[in-house]
Amino acid sequence: MSEIQFRNPGWAGNTGEFDLTEADVRGTDYVGETQLDGGHPSVSASLPYMLVEKNPEAPLFEGPYQERFEKIRSRYPTARAALLPALNLAQELRGHISPATMDEVAELLGLSNAYVRGVATFYTMYNKRPVGRFLIQVCTNISCNICGADEVLAAFLEHTGTEPGETSSDGNFTVVEAECLAACGFPTCVQINSRYFEDVSAADVPAVLERLKSES
Amino acid sequence: MPDNGPRADTVTLTIDGREVTVPRGTSLLHAAETQGTTVPHYCYHPGLSAPAQCRICLVEVEGAPKLQPSCVTMAEDGQVVHTDSPAARRMRQGVLEFYLVNHPLDCPICDMSGECKLQDYVFDEGREHGRGREPKRVFGRDDFGGDVLYYGDRCVMCTRCVRFMDEVARDSRLTVVERGSRAVIDTFFDSGLEGASFAGNVVDICPVGALVSKDFLHKARAWDLDHTPSVCTSCSQGCNIELHTRDNLVQRLMPRENQEVNGHWMCDYGRANYEWMNRPGRLEAPMAGRGGERRAVDWKTALEHLFVRLQGGTGDVMVVGSAEASNEGLAALGWVGEAVGTVSARVFRSPRADDEEPLPGYPLLVRRRDLAPNVDGAGLLGFERAGDDTGAGGLEAVAGHDGIVLVLGDGLADQDVRFGASAGLFVYLGSFDSPAARNADYVLPVTTFAEEEGSFVNAQGRVQRFWPGLRPPGSARPAWLVLGALAAALQGGRTPASAAEVFAGLEAGCAAFAGLSYDAIGESGVRLEAVHG
Repeated sequence: MSEIQFRNPGWAGNTGEFDLTEADVRGTDYVGETQLDGGHPSVSASLPYMLVEKNPEAPLFEGPYQERFEKIRSRYPTARAALLPALNLAQELRGHISPATMDEVAELLGLSNAYVRGVATFYTMYNKRPVGRFLIQVCTNISCNICGADEVLAAFLEHTGTEPGETSSDGNFTVVEAECLAACGFPTCVQINSRYFEDVSAADVPAVLERLKSES
Repeated sequence: MPDNGPRADTVTLTIDGREVTVPRGTSLLHAAETQGTTVPHYCYHPGLSAPAQCRICLVEVEGAPKLQPSCVTMAEDGQVVHTDSPAARRMRQGVLEFYLVNHPLDCPICDMSGECKLQDYVFDEGREHGRGREPKRVFGRDDFGGDVLYYGDRCVMCTRCVRFMDEVARDSRLTVVERGSRAVIDTFFDSGLEGASFAGNVVDICPVGALVSKDFLHKARAWDLDHTPSVCTSCSQGCNIELHTRDNLVQRLMPRENQEVNGHWMCDYGRANYEWMNRPGRLEAPMAGRGGERRAVDWKTALEHLFVRLQGGTGDVMVVGSAEASNEGLAALGWVGEAVGTVSARVFRSPRADDEEPLPGYPLLVRRRDLAPNVDGAGLLGFERAGDDTGAGGLEAVAGHDGIVLVLGDGLADQDVRFGASAGLFVYLGSFDSPAARNADYVLPVTTFAEEEGSFVNAQGRVQRFWPGLRPPGSARPAWLVLGALAAALQGGRTPASAAEVFAGLEAGCAAFAGLSYDAIGESGVRLEAVHG
């Protein structure tokens, strides 16, 4: 195996194409899904599946997470400005933003809990309820819709045996409808955790789910 | 060469064809107001910041590429503004149509109906018929705790309530939850507004019927209410209020703007404290005779007999006033006492709270420790505080006094039936009977502040007038009239025909009030300091 020339391409899981481990790809200076040192928080969304263990009871924030939280706090002039990345971090750790999480984040940032609730509920990318290991967001906006997004969504729901927003009994999958994912050139686009799957048709769905299951 | 010299303090602009000169830094909305044009607005409130998000106050400014929000656009020299041009009207009609997309139009069962800004604006400028065909969203109602109910369906998302809690109450409990057509105002889940001392104001500032008072819910229609300017009697801050009355009952209290006392606000404690004004079981007729011999008499008999008794009194007088009584009533009480003989005690009792409760974002407004409106007036008129912080005790000397005892407005709730038993003459003037008035030779029914004209002095040393909003029960009369008539008879003067005449006498006799007239006090009050320099 040759020396890795690139840094942080992200860990897509073992796709079979390369003989790499997660540590090979991501290095060891990662905590959760985001680089501990030096990385911009916006990078986190370009990283692949969020396969780190989510623990809804995880403390806010300890150890390296505290370091990341303090880094976030130091990057913004006001507590309000730091709220979005702080909620991101909390979601990364706990998997979703519960009322208790909102309250704790508010306490940490010195904001009112009502304000944090307002912000958390405004943005759809914060999960207000627990989701499965894989959050499958099917775009049903115009381009995708023309190209059969409704069938793709129906196929995901059928093969996971869930209703929209519901988590499958094995805890693996939550399927939701999403507004435009800005990948209109390759409909239908499906975002699974942080990773995009493009050109998905209803017929592809079982294979995609099989691949995800092999990850979990 | 640019002129870098100091700029003039005023700007002159043209609004709807009329030239207006306003101070620099005035918003177009305010400037239009000075010439009598009210530009429709929801999110803007004079006591709050202006986010310019409701988009209904947009006006046409010549030279500007788009319509400008008049609440945040500052007046500039030479601006030509049209608030009512076709473009502005068309825009408002469009904005109103969007507001009505989800508004339930349940005006017949909405408390705000009649004072609702959405109703008013749509009636003025909205489309005759809605074009929406889609079903409207339905949220139902949410109990915010305290006195506040929220009807999400009616909300226009102006966020006045959110900003009031943020900026004025400094207790950021309200927020906008969710977004788009799902957006509602809410607190942090079930935490509610319980325990917030000024939350009732969000109901006042809500431009539609989204936030309503539980106390006032379905109680009266806005157009049936009479509004009487008054002063809150719940503490010595003396917030300017309006009594809203119907069927001779106070239905609710609302703050009345006074930037030197309470701004646009009042506390929930004061707002809720009005049922006593409607309480039945009032003293309705003068009564003479002690204990079992007590009988109702007419005013002429009562006052004539009392006059004779006072003239032949023993000369040692003790008077008990009240911090709930008007300056005029207290002054007249003093005059009667002084006309009869030596006043050896001149006291009032008043409850005091443990602490004050300020409104953080409007520091002038504080719910004071003194829970009565006229503590300072009583002090200026020579009454000394007696008793403890619950408004009890302190009357031991008076209770057993063997001379003349005059009581005005003190319910003597803590005194027993022996009170005044040994008095040579005991006169009780009050709105409600009291067991301790059993030994009174005369029980004279007087009106409450809600039924009479008069004035109080608040904790800032500000003389403020109030007006009668209710008809008094039976033959109850203002204390200043009853006592003023007695004093006039004893001193050989003229019976006062109005509170203003009593105040004129008070002004002449009491240095603290010198130089003041009722007209000068007006509806907004005058600080005594300002009169005396």
